[in-house]
Amino acid sequence: MSELALFLAHAIALEEEAAERYAELADAMEVHNNKDVADLFRKLSHYSSLHLADVKKTAEGIELPKLKPWEYEWAATGGPESTAAEDTHYLMTPYHCIHLALKNERQGHDYYANAGKASPDAEVRKLALQFAEEEAEHVATLEKWAANVKEPAADWAEDMDPPAEVE
Amino acid sequence: MAAYSVSVALTGSGGAGAMTAGQILLDAASKAGFFGLMTRSMGPQIRGGEAAALVRISTKPISSLDDHYDVLVAFDWGNINRFAAELPLAASSLVLTDPEQGEVPEAISVFGARVGELPMKAISGTIPGGRANMVGLGAVAGLIGLPIDAVIAVLTAQLGRKGPEVLAASTAALKAGADAAAALPAVAKLPPHTHDGGIRWNISGNEAAGLGALKGGIKFVAAYPITPGTEVLEWLAPALEKTGGALIQAEDELASINMIIGGSFAGLPSLTATSGPGLALMTESLGLAVASETPLVVVDVMRGGPSTGIPTKSEQSDLNIACFGLHGDAPHLVIAPNSIADCLFSTQYAVYLAEALQCPAIVLSDQAMGQSRNIIAKPPEYPYVAKRVVAEANVENYKRYALTNTGVSPMAVPGTPGCNYVADGLEHNERGIPSSQASDHQSQLDKRAGKLDAFDYEDHWADVEGEGEVAIITWGSVTGPVREALERAHAAGVKAKMISLRVIMPVQPAKMAEALKGVKKVLVVEQTHSQQFYKFLRGHYDLPADLQVVSRPGPLPIRPAEIVSRLAAWK
Amino acid sequence: MTVQPNLTAQDFKSDIKPIWCPGCGDYAVLAAVTKALAETGRKREDIAFISGIGCSSRIPAYTNVYGFHGVHGRALAIAAGVKLARPDLTVVAAGGDGDGFSIGGNHFMHACRRNVDMTYIIMDNEVYGMTKGQASPTTASDWCNSKLTPHGTGISPVEPVRLALAAGANFIARGFAGNPNEVARLIVEGINHPGFSFIQVLSPCVTYRPEQREWKQAVHASDATPAQLIAEAMHQLAADDGFTTGVLFAGNRQPFMPERKITATFADFERKFES
Repeated sequence: MSELALFLAHAIALEEEAAERYAELADAMEVHNNKDVADLFRKLSHYSSLHLADVKKTAEGIELPKLKPWEYEWAATGGPESTAAEDTHYLMTPYHCIHLALKNERQGHDYYANAGKASPDAEVRKLALQFAEEEAEHVATLEKWAANVKEPAADWAEDMDPPAEVE
Repeated sequence: MAAYSVSVALTGSGGAGAMTAGQILLDAASKAGFFGLMTRSMGPQIRGGEAAALVRISTKPISSLDDHYDVLVAFDWGNINRFAAELPLAASSLVLTDPEQGEVPEAISVFGARVGELPMKAISGTIPGGRANMVGLGAVAGLIGLPIDAVIAVLTAQLGRKGPEVLAASTAALKAGADAAAALPAVAKLPPHTHDGGIRWNISGNEAAGLGALKGGIKFVAAYPITPGTEVLEWLAPALEKTGGALIQAEDELASINMIIGGSFAGLPSLTATSGPGLALMTESLGLAVASETPLVVVDVMRGGPSTGIPTKSEQSDLNIACFGLHGDAPHLVIAPNSIADCLFSTQYAVYLAEALQCPAIVLSDQAMGQSRNIIAKPPEYPYVAKRVVAEANVENYKRYALTNTGVSPMAVPGTPGCNYVADGLEHNERGIPSSQASDHQSQLDKRAGKLDAFDYEDHWADVEGEGEVAIITWGSVTGPVREALERAHAAGVKAKMISLRVIMPVQPAKMAEALKGVKKVLVVEQTHSQQFYKFLRGHYDLPADLQVVSRPGPLPIRPAEIVSRLAAWK
Repeated sequence: MTVQPNLTAQDFKSDIKPIWCPGCGDYAVLAAVTKALAETGRKREDIAFISGIGCSSRIPAYTNVYGFHGVHGRALAIAAGVKLARPDLTVVAAGGDGDGFSIGGNHFMHACRRNVDMTYIIMDNEVYGMTKGQASPTTASDWCNSKLTPHGTGISPVEPVRLALAAGANFIARGFAGNPNEVARLIVEGINHPGFSFIQVLSPCVTYRPEQREWKQAVHASDATPAQLIAEAMHQLAADDGFTTGVLFAGNRQPFMPERKITATFADFERKFES
């Protein structure tokens, strides 16, 4: 199993995980009636899906290793672009969402950039740098969004209603 | 008293062997071609306590005790006060007492029966290895005209494996007792009778319930012991083990009811047995079975309540909790066997119903039936076997709780692809997704009630016997004495009918109305303190205004004469 | 049991959207469970997922296997019934720390002892989330934020892994919702390990225990090989700090499953009544 195949498997998992987690967050925000953020997460999921499709295209014809979820380089966590639960909140604002996405994309970029430098395989390095560039573009886009989004008020997490008892 | 039967009570304490003597007597009666019934009464001790074996032998099938005992054989008088009230005697009765055991106690002599002396201890002393209870048994056999050969045949079968000396000693003691009977005052004798050649069964209500469960198709049981229901489970343990099923002992009733919910969800007809206190623990999860539409059967062998109550005595006071003990509107099946033989049919029928209707069925048996032994004709085969409406594989857009005409929706069994669902106690929509919507709640409540009401219970809803303007409405074990009372009433020219409810829930107003056509007076007979059955009937059925109630809590059984005299007094 | 290798974690998710608060650790557990189930290669219809009552117990509805959402505290009894009736099914039970150790405590003890082959995942957030934040059996005795116990419970909390070991569980592991892939690995190992497998997943409650954000700092992987002998495990767990993740015990007790055989007929049993 080649270095390239291993790398591509990681890239696919990374994007897949990102797309799935963003979609879950979009659902969660929808359920919690935070439409603006739901829409944002939906967009982010979509972009990850697009990048996933690209990676899969690149991987066409290459036999990829079937790794178990914990066999990836990032082992225990969900992957570089997988959102940490504690960074979400049902009242989070688009500001938070974009900064969260920024953090993820930067992590993704760093992952690819590192592979671009450190991999012993030339093809991998080339591809990794290519992906890193794309991530850099996402980062740039997100930085623009960040510049345009309103900072949340100090009491953004305040809910006048107490928690409900549903069962 | 019935002319076709003889009733014998054998009492003793401290290992006197009254129970063994009674069982041998019952078995011998069966061997000789008679029918019979044996109940028992015991003290609280695990060993050596006072015990009474109460045996009725008859030329025709019986399911009730008679009004009093023709013979009371007392091996000793240990603590007889404990159940003297359960040993009613008439002036014509004979008390066989061992002079070595002292005076006949006041509690017995007060009945005014005749007394005969039989030195059982002394006689047995002359026979090496002889026991006093065998002497007494032989005397009884001689007195009532039970062929001694039948008793010896039973002894041979039961004691044969203990060795020839033991058998010889017991046989000798038996014969000595029979010989001594000749010198005793005469008592009512069994009419001459030949075996009709049919197969007879000696069975208890608990065993019958176990067999009914097995034949109905039960394949999984989770068990927690409780008096007087334990024997249902103990009978089922080897039976299931050997016929491809399984029985597990659970840590408590909360576990057993939930384990059988799991077993049933997984596709196996499942059952447990308990008594009042256990049923009380199970009520929450019975509701879960109702809400999730999971079939199962709980046999409740009722005992004296409330709370710990009287574990070794019978009562019918779990009617309320069986019918109304689930929180919310939780319609379910309550089936009541009305005799020991009916424990087989009713339990088997309950299994069939629970599976067909995908809901829990509580079988309300009681200690009187559960722990009494009855000689009955071998029952017929009943056509009721578990058959669940199951979903087919890969149903498009499968809806576990689909609103169908019958109210019964196909149930997917794990392992079937394409129709997996999550069963839930939460109210849900047709797909089974939790829902708090009014329309879903209404329609699912309608479904769960409607499916029970729409089902055809045929003529199993009740045993309706006889004709007349007077109807006795009863249920469960009280049916035995009611049936016998009506037999006597008919013989005396009184026209009365009996309605013994078997399908307690769901109620059957149309069928009851039909059965009550032309009935002007109703007598309700039950064994509770608070008239639970009467109030149940009042709440759910239209009854004639002219109505009386015979309602008494346990432990004393209701006897035929009480009902006969109540009918006679009612003008 | 035939293996179907081509299902992904997404195939094991239903279309029902969880009601858990964003930030809840249970989202990660759901991801871990679906990944784990996909890894086992078992078919969806051959898996039964049983739960009790509580936020965590909502999880079966979010998966695409056969499930039972039972009453509070009784998931292990239902699960035992399912497995004992159908040994061919893969049975997983799940719930919270209240459902499992308070009302469910008795069944937990007996489930460990009985050692039926199944896997039990407790999402431990040291609080009763569904009912607005009461202390649970795993809550520290001095946690004062519940109206029901404003001065703290004053009662030492249950130590789930020690309890499991003492009661006879055959496989014991601890995971952290912040490391979902590790949790997935533990679940797969638990499912594959015969007997009763218990996995405590530290799963923070963002609404009632916001301080559990700090768990991320406290959690650390075990550096010991999983103990295989009870005495060894007891010794290790005596020093357990509650935050050590990984497989803590992998025993070799025989799982309990009654043998099914047919050696008699109904008629054989009826004949015994003949007199």
